[in-house]
Amino acid sequence: MNRTALFALAAGILLLAHQVMIWFYAPYAQSGPVQKIFYMHLPCSWWALVSFLTVALAGLGYLITRKDSFDRVAGAAAEIGVLFCTLSLATGSVWARAEWGHWWVWDPKLTTALIMWYVYAGYLVLRASPVGGERKALICAVLGIVAFLDVPLVFFAAKLWGSAHPDGLARQGGGMAPKMWHTVFAGLAAFGFLWLSMMSVRIRQLALRARLDALLVWDDE
Amino acid sequence: MLKRAALIAAKDLRLAVGGGQGPVQAVLLGLILIFLFSLSKPLGGTISAQAAGAIFWLASAFCLVLVFNDLFSIEEAEGARFGILSSPAQTHSVWIGKGAAGFCLLVVSQLVFFPAVVAFLGQSVNGPSWLFFVSLFGGDIGLCVLGALLGALSQGQTARESLLSVIVFPLLLPVLLAGITLFAAAFSGEGVDAAMDWVGLIFAFDALFAGAGLFLFPFVYGAED
Repeated sequence: MNRTALFALAAGILLLAHQVMIWFYAPYAQSGPVQKIFYMHLPCSWWALVSFLTVALAGLGYLITRKDSFDRVAGAAAEIGVLFCTLSLATGSVWARAEWGHWWVWDPKLTTALIMWYVYAGYLVLRASPVGGERKALICAVLGIVAFLDVPLVFFAAKLWGSAHPDGLARQGGGMAPKMWHTVFAGLAAFGFLWLSMMSVRIRQLALRARLDALLVWDDE
Repeated sequence: MLKRAALIAAKDLRLAVGGGQGPVQAVLLGLILIFLFSLSKPLGGTISAQAAGAIFWLASAFCLVLVFNDLFSIEEAEGARFGILSSPAQTHSVWIGKGAAGFCLLVVSQLVFFPAVVAFLGQSVNGPSWLFFVSLFGGDIGLCVLGALLGALSQGQTARESLLSVIVFPLLLPVLLAGITLFAAAFSGEGVDAAMDWVGLIFAFDALFAGAGLFLFPFVYGAED
């Protein structure tokens, strides 16, 4: 069994276990069953952030070594990061509507997630643009690094602007029960293996496409 | 390096202004935006200082995209970029020169935008004038540092204005938020005490992306298709 299949199998088992923990192990919060969406929302956010960090590190790797494999890792991580960030924003919005009556509230975390979504969606547009040769990989690497450098500043700016997130209030009120934390960590592990398997598949696809493109160019000549 | 950067900036300004258009298109776009947003003001009513600041910086951001597209498209014809790359001028000089030229054109445009904000949006500087100038200077530096770095991304592409807008606007958010808040304080005279955090944020942005630009610009500008 290859590495991708192992990751996928582990992801499947852990995601199933995570669902069982969400519905039968973790206690209900005061707000009722709608709080369960948190267990999907948090791992999506964290793994989106890991994806964006991977884009920046792979971009730096490409600038230093000029190896195409780094460019493919950055491309795959950006696609998966945007997907996870979309899921995070969607689940967060549904949760906010149920909890606070608003689809969107101004908050540093939410705003940072939304701005990151915009930035990396722009990054994917750039990757899809008709720029040829080494130039595309170089400018994507530069944008990947610049985008990640911007994240702390966006967060700090949004924090100065004003926060409406009740996270701080929840922490002051005692935070989460241990069983809730166990479920959170199980979710992080499950989504981690899902991320690894998706990354592995996508990087392989991009490598095969690059090989096919090279063969087609050779055939044309 | 700075001497050659000044030469690049002077060359860009001569070409931008000597072409007959200069920043006219960028100024017109900004003016239209300010006028259109003034329609949100009810008849006989007022528009808030914060909204006026947001409109001013939005106009400046659109202006920035047009200015840097023009500055980088100057060298697209007949391989002029490769001419500069093979000249003794360091690539860093090109970045500083482009940034300086863009800064001049942006400030000229804002000299038109500000009276429009006064006239159409009914604003005046009621707070300390140093705050207005410091935020304008810091904000413009931030816009130009990032504009000069990323302006080269869209070189040689169709629909480059829209591509650059999509990439640059979200990255500029910290500077735009800071500029809006500081202009709101400068226009209304309220919240000046809390302004120093925002001033710090603007200059942190400027310093961070100035460093990133120095390191990263040669990769963007020197890359071949």
